[in-house]
Amino acid sequence: MSNTTPLLELQNIGKYFGNVKALENVSTTVKAGEVTCVLGDNGAGKSTFIKIISGLHKPSTGKYLFEGHEVSFDSPREARSLGIATVYQDLAMAPLMSVWRNFFLGSEPTKRFGPINLLDAKFARATAKEEMSKLGIDVRDIDQPVGTLSGGERQSVAIARAVYFGARVLILDEPTSALGVRQSDLVLGYVKAAAARDLGVILITHNPQHALPVGNRFLILNRGQSVGHFEKQDLTYERLIELMSGRVHAA
Amino acid sequence: MSEFDDVTPLKPSDERITYRGPLKRLLISPEIGALIGAVVVWAFFWGNGDKFGTAGSTANFLDVAAPLGIMAVAVSLLMIGGEFDLSAGVMTGASGVTIALMAKHFTDNGISLFVCIPAAFLLAGCVGWWNGFLVNKTGLPSFIVTLGSFFVIKGSNLVFSKRINSLVNVSGIEKAEGYKFFKAVLGGENKFGDTKYRDVIFLVGGILFGVLLVIGFVEQSLLRTEKTLMSAMLVAIIGAVAGVAGVIVLHRTDSVKGNVVAGVIGLSGSTLAIVSYSRARFQSREPFAGSVPETARPLIVLGLLGTAVASLAGQLFDRGEENVMLQWLPSWLRLAVALAAGALPLWFFVRQVMRGDVEFRAKAVALIIVRLPIICLVSLIGIVSLFQLTTVQAVRAVLITVAGTGAATCLYRARSIAGKHSTKHFINLGLLMSTCFVVVAFAVRADSSAPRFRGGIFATLLIGAALILATTLVEAKQQKRLLADSNADQFGKRIVLIGMFIGSIALGTRLLFSDGVFRMSVFWWLFFTAVGAFVLTKTKYGNWIFAVGGNKDAARATGVPADKVKTALFMATSLMGAFVGAMILMRLNSVQAQQGDGQEFEYIIAAVVGGNLMTGGYGSVIGASLGALIMAISKNGIPAAQWNQDGRFIFLGAVLLVAVLVNNFVRKKANEQR
Repeated sequence: MSNTTPLLELQNIGKYFGNVKALENVSTTVKAGEVTCVLGDNGAGKSTFIKIISGLHKPSTGKYLFEGHEVSFDSPREARSLGIATVYQDLAMAPLMSVWRNFFLGSEPTKRFGPINLLDAKFARATAKEEMSKLGIDVRDIDQPVGTLSGGERQSVAIARAVYFGARVLILDEPTSALGVRQSDLVLGYVKAAAARDLGVILITHNPQHALPVGNRFLILNRGQSVGHFEKQDLTYERLIELMSGRVHAA
Repeated sequence: MSEFDDVTPLKPSDERITYRGPLKRLLISPEIGALIGAVVVWAFFWGNGDKFGTAGSTANFLDVAAPLGIMAVAVSLLMIGGEFDLSAGVMTGASGVTIALMAKHFTDNGISLFVCIPAAFLLAGCVGWWNGFLVNKTGLPSFIVTLGSFFVIKGSNLVFSKRINSLVNVSGIEKAEGYKFFKAVLGGENKFGDTKYRDVIFLVGGILFGVLLVIGFVEQSLLRTEKTLMSAMLVAIIGAVAGVAGVIVLHRTDSVKGNVVAGVIGLSGSTLAIVSYSRARFQSREPFAGSVPETARPLIVLGLLGTAVASLAGQLFDRGEENVMLQWLPSWLRLAVALAAGALPLWFFVRQVMRGDVEFRAKAVALIIVRLPIICLVSLIGIVSLFQLTTVQAVRAVLITVAGTGAATCLYRARSIAGKHSTKHFINLGLLMSTCFVVVAFAVRADSSAPRFRGGIFATLLIGAALILATTLVEAKQQKRLLADSNADQFGKRIVLIGMFIGSIALGTRLLFSDGVFRMSVFWWLFFTAVGAFVLTKTKYGNWIFAVGGNKDAARATGVPADKVKTALFMATSLMGAFVGAMILMRLNSVQAQQGDGQEFEYIIAAVVGGNLMTGGYGSVIGASLGALIMAISKNGIPAAQWNQDGRFIFLGAVLLVAVLVNNFVRKKANEQR
């Protein structure tokens, strides 16, 4: 789709914990405006891969390129400062706090009032509402506690928050794993909408039915090894299932 | 696959755009339970004895409330941050002991208070830091960590004061340098005389408060029309003038005749004003016809019955009599009554069990074991109260309160059930309800021995009747707003805010200028409550406090310095303890080494009564302050009502339970209906 330099490029990444090979020879690219899906069954190495991308682990072998330059992160904060944001399964949110307070948690907007720095609640409310509606999320009440939202809505708040705070690569760790059909559809819609805003999205899932409709590129992992890397047009549902179950190897 | 390509936002349907009116917003705020509780408890004791509610007793309970409230502010912030500090109570003692010992014994001549007090603060800061450091580093529950600090500090207080001063009581700081300054700042007392403007300010302020509150609420809940209807507005103004005139006359005179006329004028005037104002500025709705459903009928009967009981209670019991009741009953009858009070709940329970099916019976044993303590407690309270605690005034107050509230609740339920079926019956029941209020008002007024009670309750009930009538008519005739309208909301909120500001000035004037004493401690209490509430709701640090209490990992993941926030909260609590310790020392000029021992639970109770969640992440500083106020009022009110002093513990326990249950219930209800 886009011919520019990919946002992220991972070449032959491997990770060893002592003599355990958690990951070996895995490559993929993430382009702006596209969704790269990382698929695999439990224990396939998805989490390790994500932790490498988000800066929590350093790869043992291989190259990690961000916008064409090789990078090496010492902490997730460094990755975040480049705009690589991770939305974890257990969502970094306080359930009893309102949507807007959660949205700006840790990066609260302030305005000066004499010598005091006030929380700019008006701006925060308006911005949170606006940002979420840009992704097609309509929250009933920006003041309602996050705990009263459904799982999908909570995911959407986290996604909108990451997008607003300048994420260029959005890593979503199993965003649909705990959700019902309708809720999953909603979240996948938000994923698509985030990509449409020129973000590179990495979607981790073990559900091929969720990955196939939204993904542009598919990386399939099995037992720490890449069993295939496909563009959307090269892949069918049946083939994907076969690859994920580890019965067939990629040609 | 294309189903995900076009992302359409969820279409707003009726269910999704519900607008929360001002009342509901008020109900889900954490401090609402404490606010209502404070008013109810105050009114209860005020109506229960002439000793309570005078300027002197107000100053007394504020004096108790201030140190408790200051600590409750810090403890509630800490609790919202997800932690407890059991050493907060003894910290006040430690600070007092440190200051007093240093001031007397640091060198042979002692040392200036300008050194001692900062030193106490330094010590407190260190204790707080240590508490926070240990909790953060080890991840142990703060309950355990601060329990350790509690014992260490408690022991140190005793050891050092005995060792250095050879007494557990350290006094004689008057000679220290800087005593005058700190006495004035921390322990000062200001007497305000009576002024002739006091009543005027109170009256004008009170009326403005009421008017602005009503306007603000109406603006926030109804749907505006394009044009204001001037004729209705004129009627509203005339009504308001009549209402205000009625209230002023009511306030001024105490003669029976004046009361009736002024009461009727005030009641009808203010009702007319509210209804016409709503008609003038807001859209009306179509009425609908129907009948009262079966389910509402028993409620109506119950409501009328309750009204009758309340008015009879007002007539029959002479409020001037402070003697213990039931002396004229022979002792065997008293015993029988007490036993009946105890046995009644048991009998109900047994009957319930016998009626139940087999499965329920199997569970019954477990249920009885669980509930037995509660039943015993109820019986115990029944017996004790019948023998010792119950004065004529108390019975009267309880009867009027319980029967009146019960009647109002029944009629209110009936009204809201009817409201779904018929506009006409909704209005009729509203009329009936306010009539009941008026009946009780006059019944209470008929007893002539207690002017204050008579006048106060009479006026309150009449205002209540006017408000019910007005809201009934407005709700039946006017269109409610279903959408948020930021302009109208802001306007309404500002009006309410101005009203509350004026109201508090009026109340403050009334309380201060009644030959009362204003202590500096009360000033500091208000100051710290304001600062705490400001930090919690208006700054980013407040956001962080909520977050570390609500979900510490989430807070850390989003970049909140969670450990620092917790340590700061622990330090703030200890420093506040030091402040309160210094304050009490400056007020009493001496300190007991055991001071504050056990108080930490009172701070926690105040915070919980104020709507703070024990698990953290939710709460209010103002609520905690109000919780402290409730506790102080009950501490002073019980002796003033001539009840057994030790009964305050029973009362406190009951208040704590009821407050928590009500908070829980209201929050759940309010959140369900979003």
